Amino acid sequence: MPEDSQENENIEPENESGEIKSSGSLEEQLAAEQQKAAEYLASWQRAQADFINYKRRVEQERSEFNSYANTNLILGILPVLDDLERAIEAMPAKIAASEWGEGIKLVEHKFKTILQGQGVIPMISVGETFDPTIHEALRQEKGEEGIILEEFQRGYMLGERVIRPAKVVVGNEEEEDNPNG
Amino acid sequence: MAKVIGIDLGTTNSAVAVMEAGEPTIIPNAEGGRTTPSIVAVNKAGERLVGQVAKRQAVTNPDNTIFSIKRLMGRKYDEPSAEYDRKMLPYKIVKAANGDANVKMGDKDYSPPEISAMILQKLKTDAEAYLGEKVTEAVITVPAYFNDSQRQATKDAGKIAGLEVLRIVNEPTAASLAYGLDKKHDEVIAVYDLGGGTFDISILELGEGTFKVESTNGDTHLGGDDFDQRVMDWLCDEFKKDQGIDLRQDKMALQRLKEAAEKAKTELSTVQQTDVNLPFVTADASGPKHLNITLTRSKLEQLVMDLVEKTIEPCKQALTDAEKTTAQIDEVILVGGQTRMPLVQKKVQEYFGKEPHKGVNPDEVVAVGAAIQAGVLKGDVKDVLLLDVTPLTLGIETLGAVATPLIPRNTTIPTAKSQIFSTAADNQPSVEIHVLQGERPMAADNRTLGRFMLDGILPAPRGMPQVEVTFDIDANGILNVRAQDKGTGKEQKITITASSGLSKDEVDKMQKEAEMHASEDTKRREEIEAKNTGDSLAYQAEKLLRDNKDKVPADLNAEAEEKIAALKNTLNGDDTEAIKKATEELNATMQKIGTAVYQQQQPPPGGEAPPPPPEGGEGENGGDDENTVEGEFKEV
Repeated sequence: MPEDSQENENIEPENESGEIKSSGSLEEQLAAEQQKAAEYLASWQRAQADFINYKRRVEQERSEFNSYANTNLILGILPVLDDLERAIEAMPAKIAASEWGEGIKLVEHKFKTILQGQGVIPMISVGETFDPTIHEALRQEKGEEGIILEEFQRGYMLGERVIRPAKVVVGNEEEEDNPNG
Repeated sequence: MAKVIGIDLGTTNSAVAVMEAGEPTIIPNAEGGRTTPSIVAVNKAGERLVGQVAKRQAVTNPDNTIFSIKRLMGRKYDEPSAEYDRKMLPYKIVKAANGDANVKMGDKDYSPPEISAMILQKLKTDAEAYLGEKVTEAVITVPAYFNDSQRQATKDAGKIAGLEVLRIVNEPTAASLAYGLDKKHDEVIAVYDLGGGTFDISILELGEGTFKVESTNGDTHLGGDDFDQRVMDWLCDEFKKDQGIDLRQDKMALQRLKEAAEKAKTELSTVQQTDVNLPFVTADASGPKHLNITLTRSKLEQLVMDLVEKTIEPCKQALTDAEKTTAQIDEVILVGGQTRMPLVQKKVQEYFGKEPHKGVNPDEVVAVGAAIQAGVLKGDVKDVLLLDVTPLTLGIETLGAVATPLIPRNTTIPTAKSQIFSTAADNQPSVEIHVLQGERPMAADNRTLGRFMLDGILPAPRGMPQVEVTFDIDANGILNVRAQDKGTGKEQKITITASSGLSKDEVDKMQKEAEMHASEDTKRREEIEAKNTGDSLAYQAEKLLRDNKDKVPADLNAEAEEKIAALKNTLNGDDTEAIKKATEELNATMQKIGTAVYQQQQPPPGGEAPPPPPEGGEGENGGDDENTVEGEFKEV
C-alpha cells in the first residue's frame, strides 16, 4: 500500500550558498549572493502579488457581504412566512370572511412587503420550465415534460442570488423518446 | 509561480483548499458552498451540469445523473463489488473494451476518471476564480484502501481536468496533517471517519515524518443519513400516536419532516433539547394538524445508540489487523460531519481511551490536510517564509502612569508604527520614553523593556511640542524605539533585543494576568482618564481666562475660578465621580464664557483657542498630521 512521505526536512536554510567554508573566491561569493538576491526578489514579488490578490478578494468579499449580510437571517425567517401562508391557505371560509381573518392577511402582506424592501423576491415556479440553477426537483409526476407541476416550497432570490431554490415536482410525460429505462 | 491546491475528492461531496500566507483556507465554490456535491449530469439539451445544480435535477434525470462515481474508480466491470453497484446505482454501468466498468451518460460512455475529471474541473475553475490566477497543480486525496489501479485512475482524472497531480495522499493521512501530527514521531494514530453515507476507520503508524497505513476497516453503508432516518421515523411514530395520522403517506409532509429531522439532529450537537415545530403539517376532515414535538439530546442518543455502537466492531477489527491494542493508540482524529455528535465523540473516547482531536471542521479536515501537503511540496522551491507575531503588546508610559499601546499583540512582524505624543506640563524640557511590554493598562503592571530621555525640548505650553515615537520590530524580533522632537529634529533611540527573550510560559502568564485583572484594570484606567481629562480642562480654563482677561465678564470669571479651584481640589483626591462631576461643571461654565466672548464679536483668539477638553486619546490640536494621536508624557 503506498504511503505518503513527508518532506519536512527541507527547512535547513541555504547551507550550500550561505556559508563560506574556505575563503572562496570573490566571484563565487558574488555569484552566491546574486543567486540569493534573485531568490529573495522572487519571493518578495510573490508575497506582494499574494497580498494584492488577497486585498482584491477582501474588497470583493466586503462588497458581497454588504449585499448579502442578511442572507442567514432571511433564510431563518422564511419558514415562518411559509407557515403563515399555509395557515392562511387553510383558513376556514367563515374566518376568512371576518375582519379578524382580513387582519391576518394584512399581516402576511406586510411581512412580504418588508422582505421585498430588503430585495427578497419570491420565484414563480408552477408552469415554468424546470431549471436546476433555481429549482430543486423533489420528484416527477405525469405531466408535460420538464414543466413544473407543483411547488412544495417557494423559492426566493436576494438580488441576483438564489438564496433558496424552489422545491418542485416536475412533469415526466414523454418516456417513449428516451428508451433506456 | 502558481499555487497548488489540495482536493478532497469525496464519494458524495468534494472540497478544495489552498495555503494562503501559511494557513490552509477552504475555497468556496461559485455557488458559495464550502463543499461541492460529487455529482455530474447531462441534461436533455446536452449541457453538462456539475455539483449542486446536478444534484437538484437528479430526480428528473436519473439515467444521466452520475453520483458516487468514486465507488467505480479503477474497477473492472466483472468485479463483484462493481456488480453490487450495478444493482444499486440508478444509472447504467457498461463494460469498456479494456474490461473496466464505465458509465453511460447522455448517449456516450464515460470512464470513471472522465466523470471524476468533470468534478475536478469545476473545483479547479472555482479555485481559479477565487484565487485570481491559473491553477495547474494539485494534491488529491483517496481512501487508504484504494489499490494501485484506483490511485492511477484518480491521477488520470486529474490529468484529464488539466491538473498535474503532484501527489496522491491517503485521506486519514491528510486528516493527520491537518492536525499537525507529522511533526511528531513514532506514534500510532486512529482516524475515525463517519460521513453522510460511509464509515471508515484507519490505523496509521507515523515514523520519521512518514505515515504508514497499517489497516483499514469500515461500513460502506453507515452514516449520518441513517441517523436522520431514525429521527424521522420517530417523529412519524410520535405524530401517529398523538394524532392518528401516518405522515409517511403524505409526500409534502414527509419532505418537511425530513428537513426538520436533519435540523433537529444538527442542533442537538450544541443544545440539550429542541422543538420540532411544523404548523399545518397535514390536515384531515376535522381540520389542520400541527406537529410540535420536543426532542431531547438523550432521546436522540437513545434512537441512534445502536448505529454508533455499530462503528466499534470495525474499530476492533482494524486494531486486530494492525496488531495493536487500544492502549497503543496515541492519537485519535475525527473526520466527517456526523462526528460532531457528542455521543459519537464520547463512544470513540470510551473505546480508544483517548480524547479525540477536534477543532478542524470535520467536513473540511481532509481538504485542509491536502492543502498542507501541497504547501509542503511547494516548500521544496523555497517559498516558506515563516513570519512570527509579537506575543505581547508593546507601548510606552504616558501621563498618569498609563501604558499606551503602539503595537498590539499578535501583530505579524516585521512591522513599524509611529505615533505623536506631547508634553504634560508647560515648558517641560524633556520627555522620558519608558518602553513597556504587556497587556495591562497601567505601566507599573507591565514589563519594562527599556527607558531613555529625549531632552532639549524648547520651552512651550504643554501639549504643543510634537514628539514622534516610532516602534520598529524586525523579522528577528529586535525592537528599535526612536523618539524625535519634530520641532528641533533632535532624536534619541534604543535597541531592545530582550523582547524576544520571554519564554512561552512567561508570555502565557502575562496574558493570564491581564485577563484576571481585566475589570479592576478597566476601572483604574477610567480613574486615570477622568483625572487626565479634568487636569487638562483646568489647565485650559486657566489659560483661557488669562488670555482673555478683558473679554470675560467679571461674574463668569469669578464663577470659572471657583469651579477651577473646586476641580483642582477633587484632582488631589481619588474620588472619580467627584472629579467627573467637577469637570462637567467647569465645562458648562467654560461654554458660557465661550458664548459670552463670541457674542462680543471678537475674533477667536488664534489657533490656541481651547476646544472642548480632549476625551481619552483623541487629538487636541487638529494640526497638520491627521494621524496625530494625543498622548502626554508625564512630567519628569
